[in-house]
Amino acid sequence: MKAIQNTQSAHGVIKTHNGLLISALLASLLGLSSMQGFAFDLKGVLKEAAQKELGQSPEAPATDAAQAQPATTSGENTTAAKASEPEFNWKNPSKEEEIALGREIAGNLLGAAPLVKDAALQKYVNSVGRWVASQSERPDLPWRFGVIESEDLNAFAAPGGYIMLTKGLYRKLNNEAQLAGVLGHEIGHVVKKHQLKVLQKQQLLNIGAGFLSDKYAKDNKLASKAIGTGAEISARSLDKSAEYEADRLGLSYATRAGYEPYGLTEVLQAIGQTSKDDGSVALLFKTHPHPDERLVALGDAIGNKLDNVKNGKTLENRFYQLKN
Amino acid sequence: MKTKFKSILIAACMLPAFYGSAALAAETGTALKNDTIRKEPYADAKSAGSFTRGENLEILKKQGAWLQVKTKKSTGWVRLLSVKRGTATTSSQSAGILAAASGRAGTGQVVSTTGVRGLSEQELKAAKFNETEIKTMESYTLSADDGRSFANAGKLKPIAFANLKAAKGDSK
Repeated sequence: MKAIQNTQSAHGVIKTHNGLLISALLASLLGLSSMQGFAFDLKGVLKEAAQKELGQSPEAPATDAAQAQPATTSGENTTAAKASEPEFNWKNPSKEEEIALGREIAGNLLGAAPLVKDAALQKYVNSVGRWVASQSERPDLPWRFGVIESEDLNAFAAPGGYIMLTKGLYRKLNNEAQLAGVLGHEIGHVVKKHQLKVLQKQQLLNIGAGFLSDKYAKDNKLASKAIGTGAEISARSLDKSAEYEADRLGLSYATRAGYEPYGLTEVLQAIGQTSKDDGSVALLFKTHPHPDERLVALGDAIGNKLDNVKNGKTLENRFYQLKN
Repeated sequence: MKTKFKSILIAACMLPAFYGSAALAAETGTALKNDTIRKEPYADAKSAGSFTRGENLEILKKQGAWLQVKTKKSTGWVRLLSVKRGTATTSSQSAGILAAASGRAGTGQVVSTTGVRGLSEQELKAAKFNETEIKTMESYTLSADDGRSFANAGKLKPIAFANLKAAKGDSK
């Protein structure tokens, strides 16, 4: 069960909508399936940001964003700040901006599929997720996890540490190590900023292409913008290489956390046995490499590296059982 | 005499039971890649043969990260991830799926995906930001210390393990 979403879709969305961005969600995890894509339309938000960036440095490629020099950046920010409200620095978003963007995306997704009303379940998933996330390169993010009402098989990650998996996927799991692997995959997407990079790239491209008008550039806060455009969600994918990377990281984090390393691969095995004609995995299979391919890639990456890893735990005894 | 008959009877009854459990234990699988079958569950064990991607096989046993499998030609051990467990698919079907899975545009290409099922596209499009739900989700946020306590309760011990890297020559 693990599905992962692909990047390809995300790109597609962007193009189609001219700039909107988003996609976000992206990430799904393990493969899953179903959620097809969610693309959130962050259009407004992104545009704004893009515009700003544009005005400041039209030619700047998105990829340079991370390398912007502090001095330059602060100068730009100052200028931008005068223009209006909080602006979203698309070239080099702060952690706070990243979280705010993820919140919009996650909130939209929850508008389509609310949390399962079972506090004990949510607490359990947050406990496992938090521990796994602490083994990642970004233990300082305010990681939060949720199981949402959907029988699809899928999982999602939004920037800043918002991670969701469907009840359908949870139902397929047999133990805590498998859950850790699935959450680890999503955590990997957040750590590597896969979705955020797609959004940034698109936004900056839009800016460069002049799609964003000055008008857009001026108003609004990130949040209101995103909400204002509604949750246009579509199925999006991340680049396949991002999914393979998230698989490797997810397995690595779960292993470091002390779990039996093969939890994620077991979920992929299970998902792989689901007929591609089954609607619950339609999105997953569309947005992620097939589970078989993911297993092969993971197997190649693992090689003999797990030969000396022993005593990982599966903890099926405390694995939280769904009430229905 | 009576006793003897009884034992025979019991033995006769048990035979089917043994066969039955053997049948239950037989699990099938499909080779996910070309790989060497080894005589023992170790990477440096001697070769006992090989299988090719898509080949159907029988899974006899699991030991750690190894599976003991039986193909038409040989029996031996292969790494867990070289085999897709469960219902075997024919190689042609498998090839089709694999082809579809890899039929992608180059990295970075923008590809639009439209088909949607499950959580429907309509549902997603109609979705509105839900402040209450996001706040509820955030209310469950735990600290790193909370996570550590939870790990301790399960006797989970963190270990040193470097992040896996893509295999050499693997563009994935």
